Amino acid sequence: MVFPEMEDIMGQMGNFTKIQDAKQRYKSGVIPYATMGYWEPDYQVKDTDILAMFRVTPQPGVDPIEAAAAVAGESSTATWTVVWTDRLTACEIYRAKAYRVDPVPNTGPGTATEAQYFAYIAYDIDLFEPGSIANLTASIIGNVFGFKAVKALRLEDMHIPIAYLKTFQGPATGIVVERERLDKFGRPLLGATTKPKLGLSGRNYGRVVYEALKGGLDFVKDDENINSQPFMHWRDRYLYCMEAVNRAQAATGEVKGHYLNVTAGTMEEMYERAEFAKQLGSVIIMIDLVIGYTAIQSMAKWARKNDMILHLHRAGNSTYSRQKSHGMNFRVICKWMRMAGVDHIHAGTVVGKLEGDPLMVKGFYDTLRSTDTKVNLQNGLFFPQEWASLNKVMPVASGGIHAGQMHQLLDYLGEDVVLQFGGGTIGHPMGIQAGATANRVALEAMVLARNEGRDIRNEGPEILRDAAKWCQPLRAALDTWGEITFNYTSTDTSDFTPTAVAV
Amino acid sequence: MSIPGPAAGFEAASAEVIDLKALQADSDIAAPMAELDRDLVGLAPVKQRIREIAAFLLVARARERVGLAAGPPTLHMAFTGNPGTGKTTVALRMAGILHRLGYVRKGHLVSVTRDDLVGQYIGHTAPKTKDVLKRAMGGVLFIDEAYYLHRPENEKDYGQEAIEILLQVMENQREDLVVILAGYRDRMASFFVSNPGFRSRIAHHIDFPDYDASELLAIAELLAAQSDYRLSPAAREAMIEYITRRQQQPSFSNGRSIRNALDRARLRQAMRLYAGNAVATREALQTIEAEDIRASRVFAT
Amino acid sequence: MRVTQGTFSFLPDLTDRQISDQIEYCLRQGWAVGVEFTDDIHPRNTYWEMWGLPMFDLRDAAGVMAEVRACRETHPDVYVRLTAFDSTRGWETVRLSFLVQRPAEEPGFRLERTEAEGRSIRYGLSAYAIDRPVGERYKSKQANAAQGDSP
Ligand SMILES: Nc1ncnc2c1ncn2[C@@H]1O[C@H](COP(=O)(O)OP(=O)(O)O)[C@@H](O)[C@H]1O
Ligand SMILES: [Mg+2]
Repeated sequence: MVFPEMEDIMGQMGNFTKIQDAKQRYKSGVIPYATMGYWEPDYQVKDTDILAMFRVTPQPGVDPIEAAAAVAGESSTATWTVVWTDRLTACEIYRAKAYRVDPVPNTGPGTATEAQYFAYIAYDIDLFEPGSIANLTASIIGNVFGFKAVKALRLEDMHIPIAYLKTFQGPATGIVVERERLDKFGRPLLGATTKPKLGLSGRNYGRVVYEALKGGLDFVKDDENINSQPFMHWRDRYLYCMEAVNRAQAATGEVKGHYLNVTAGTMEEMYERAEFAKQLGSVIIMIDLVIGYTAIQSMAKWARKNDMILHLHRAGNSTYSRQKSHGMNFRVICKWMRMAGVDHIHAGTVVGKLEGDPLMVKGFYDTLRSTDTKVNLQNGLFFPQEWASLNKVMPVASGGIHAGQMHQLLDYLGEDVVLQFGGGTIGHPMGIQAGATANRVALEAMVLARNEGRDIRNEGPEILRDAAKWCQPLRAALDTWGEITFNYTSTDTSDFTPTAVAV
Repeated sequence: MSIPGPAAGFEAASAEVIDLKALQADSDIAAPMAELDRDLVGLAPVKQRIREIAAFLLVARARERVGLAAGPPTLHMAFTGNPGTGKTTVALRMAGILHRLGYVRKGHLVSVTRDDLVGQYIGHTAPKTKDVLKRAMGGVLFIDEAYYLHRPENEKDYGQEAIEILLQVMENQREDLVVILAGYRDRMASFFVSNPGFRSRIAHHIDFPDYDASELLAIAELLAAQSDYRLSPAAREAMIEYITRRQQQPSFSNGRSIRNALDRARLRQAMRLYAGNAVATREALQTIEAEDIRASRVFAT
Repeated sequence: MRVTQGTFSFLPDLTDRQISDQIEYCLRQGWAVGVEFTDDIHPRNTYWEMWGLPMFDLRDAAGVMAEVRACRETHPDVYVRLTAFDSTRGWETVRLSFLVQRPAEEPGFRLERTEAEGRSIRYGLSAYAIDRPVGERYKSKQANAAQGDSP
């Protein structure tokens, strides 16, 4: 892609050449990273290289190329000064190489945003331990993010070579096998988070689970902060929830599930909880992103070994993924989590109450579900990614969605997604079962219509109204929430199109 | 099951007047009819019969719209004639035309012979025949040399089972598929005599006459042009002579013989250019010369 | 009760027209559609009886509908479903599956509880109909209609 302003800005970028003479290069002192070998504009990317793309906002006066080289240096072998011990290693290989720097459209002089640059950096595969997200991230999002020469830094996207992907287990179950186990095909799955989030006793909590499952949902879910608190200890919750799940299965003849959150203070406790969930016959357990990458990978291994679907709540991600100039893009989390091996991850709704520009969300969903993603700048996919047969992750859409948006949800998110209607189920005026039924009827009516070739994007409201004629719970849901929308501008938006406002 | 019908011409649902021209335009029937005329040499009686059928079906639609007696018309056909007279080619066009007119939903052609329908052992035939029928649904089933289904000399022939299933579907699922039976004229005639069930279910018999020499030449030039070749004046003369000789031979099969002759001439042309060892002009690359044709065995005697 | 397995079980039973539209959808996706039936409706009974093989290379729904009708005729009192198979790499599994017939009466499931260590319970699920022999598990429609007629 060529931008009109690019030529000008490129003209302002420094012209650095790598110092070839070893004596010069390793003389004690401080020299620009760009001349140390961390800037190689002619570098030929290898098939086995791990690639990362950062959005760099240099400190005033710092040349963008030098900033990019510094990022490459600080995320691989460099330290602030020259060290002679480099010469005991094959340092040419271990040095990460910034190989491309592009100005970010609509930033810099004449715009409201200070100049930003997309810096592309290549890392040799041997810089990383096989099968360890922790090791990968310790370099890529390690010290470099506090580095002074850059004012702000954001990891936008990564390319993981097949050679490295193959050292990861990937999703314990995956979309295909999850559907086969649940015997549910051709439509999004339905879920809800038990509300209120905190304070219910185990017995009362299970009531919500039973009502929602019997009414038509496939799953109910613990909230991310439901672990084992004074008002409800985990064993109590598990016992009552599994009673509810089994009762609902008997009432409907369908496979049902409740994501039992096993998040705890130590691995030992998490394993203990997961074992108990398995003993009770649960099909699914849940963890929170805040337990850390290593714990997630451990639980994914456990889930594969124990025929368990693994649901991940992305609690905490917004602290670093939401702002556009600093942190990391959620699509990178999606990649890491697919490698780490979770089966579900919350990935945005487009139409709900939480952050989610439609183009960005599309990029997240593609990252989780496709076998081979292509470069798509609009959707924020800067690299192609072949997934090397790693299972697909089921995205979860949750937060402020309701039955009246069913056509938009199906249209934007497709059918391989869990739609979580928490308030939209439990807050139904006719009760929880009715709320669940309204959602399920709306969903099935919409899938039926889509398959019949109808234009659900435009005819959606009419399709819902027609179903509401014979389904009173749906009518009540539409009357209650039909008009609710959340119209805030997203903060994490595409750099390559005018901002689309959530519907 | 309803059939997607052409739209606008039928709008005036209960009107007393129906605009047949508009109806025709909407069903987009003009294009395939023109193609039929253009792409197929001769066959005047066949083309005439197809025009009649198309007109009949169009009027049937119009009658249905104004509430006159109508039912799904029987569309099964028999195409009779010698090999290479264009039966398969016309069947393919027919499928397209019926689709445009809304009488078959998909418009594809499934072409089979006895071996595709009849099995080798007990219980083998019904699934085979049904499988073919299911694949043909929404389109046209073309059964070449249909009389081989019937083996009067063998009482326990499984062909009879296939025939019964075919007859049943031809009767009960007329809106789901059209069956075209094809083969030699005389053999088809005796097949119909011994299988009156077929005779009564076939609405249109279309006879494909042999081509005369000038038509065969026209076919040769048309086939050549369709793949960017042309006959030099001398090659054209050679082709005329080839046709006269070839027609005398017992294995002569009309259009197919011409197609095969051309295919071989193209091979010889390639060898000639290759052996010539020179740079080939665009002109040379597309020209069939007399020698490419005269090298045929047909000229040996 | 109403067994809600299958993609469209919360809607009123589909008409043949609606079923045929869904088959057309499957064929447009390039999926092969098979007819399956069972009188053992346990949610983990994966292997329903196949009414013939999945149908490959069809262009039109009429062929599948003919098999649906034939299966219903032979087995009027059991569950019948359509299953669509996708052979695309990365899927190679069922992509749509929905009921096209259910028995007139569905007696539902018994939930068996066995107390285990601590407060744990082992659950067992079985359809009430399963106690009767194969072929007699669901009341025939005729018998049912006759019953409805009597005062
Ligand atoms: N009228 C025609 N115009 C052009 N080509 C023809 C014509 N009739 C036959 N052919 C050619 O002859 C070949 C054999 O025709 P086909 O339709 O298979 O004959 P049949 O089914 O009667 O044996 C085809 O390749 C076709 O292109
Ligand atoms: Mg032929």
